[in-house]
Amino acid sequence: MNKGKIVSIHSFRGGTGKSNTTANLAAQVAMTGKRVGVVDTDIQSPGIHVLFGLDETKMGKTMNDFLHGKATIREIGFSIGEHSSGGEGRAKLAGKNLWLFPSSIRGREISQILKEGIDFNLLNEGLQKTITEFDLDYLFIDTHPGLNEETLLSIATSDILIIILRPDNQDLQGTSVTVDIARSLDVPNLLLMVNKALPKYDFVELKKEIEDKFNAPVTGILPLSFDLADNASNDLFSLRFPDHDWSKALRGVAKAVLAVE
Amino acid sequence: MPGVFDRLNKEIKDKQQEGGITALDLADLQPALRKIMRLMLRELQMTYPRLCEVMDAMPEKERLTRDELDESLSTLTQQFWLIRIGEGVKAIYKVNLRRKAGSTLASGIWSSLDEKLKDKPKDT
Repeated sequence: MNKGKIVSIHSFRGGTGKSNTTANLAAQVAMTGKRVGVVDTDIQSPGIHVLFGLDETKMGKTMNDFLHGKATIREIGFSIGEHSSGGEGRAKLAGKNLWLFPSSIRGREISQILKEGIDFNLLNEGLQKTITEFDLDYLFIDTHPGLNEETLLSIATSDILIIILRPDNQDLQGTSVTVDIARSLDVPNLLLMVNKALPKYDFVELKKEIEDKFNAPVTGILPLSFDLADNASNDLFSLRFPDHDWSKALRGVAKAVLAVE
Repeated sequence: MPGVFDRLNKEIKDKQQEGGITALDLADLQPALRKIMRLMLRELQMTYPRLCEVMDAMPEKERLTRDELDESLSTLTQQFWLIRIGEGVKAIYKVNLRRKAGSTLASGIWSSLDEKLKDKPKDT
């Protein structure tokens, strides 16, 4: 059996802070000494690489190359621990065991995938190989919002699914759909995380309300933060501002992930 | 000259072209079948003895009996959701996921987009 755990991060709607949360969670788990990978399966609109300081010029082989048989998983893994410059927060990851498996941001390669489709046997093989070939303890999967086939595959193969939602009626309804699907796929550990909660809310009451509604644990309520917006994905916020309320709440979510047996 | 491994791999690849399961199909499976498919998704391929070994190591309430396992494997193989190479205790099972279909937009749209994107300086 593979020893590494797959943690899929999902939100039914866009704009919930999914990529930001995924990158910061992966970084926090890597800071504890674990071997961590992050895969961007949002092939249509990749973005998590930005949080790790990558752009088109620095990006080497991608998941798109793997899906087209032009690269191995070993060639795609970009070591963040060895290339952690360019941000005060990211610099703290120097020497840590954290790898990013990015998707391409080249227009032609994105359109090629849309045009030709995806070999899911190969995609799944790639996800599992990241764990075995990099001897990962945790593989975080940043998914496309909503429910497409790649997202469903990552949910089906995950040990832990974190659903991110905002305290908003559209998000609440959408989350019900994802929770139902996760349960019907027998995902062993379903965790919820509320992001962008207005500080005026009673967080204890909100937590209880959402836990009652979905019958699943809320691992953190992260406040809406202008500081985080001001960071503009330039750095890993929770590493750069560890004493910020958002960062403290995020570390609570990381702790919940680490606590799953 | 290709070795046994290459030939088996080719046989698996050829069979994988012939159908497969989607994640939504997984949600509709009976619990015993879904348990095997989830396991196979993680392991990619397993021998029959290894499957038995993993099943035996599961907590009692989650475990399938040998008959249930055999019946489930037979159903999944018939549906082409698992591919079986070999027979009996020598059988190797591999998960078979259905390919995500490409866009149904007219091919002219894609070639036109491809031409435009090819000229982008940062893409060269």
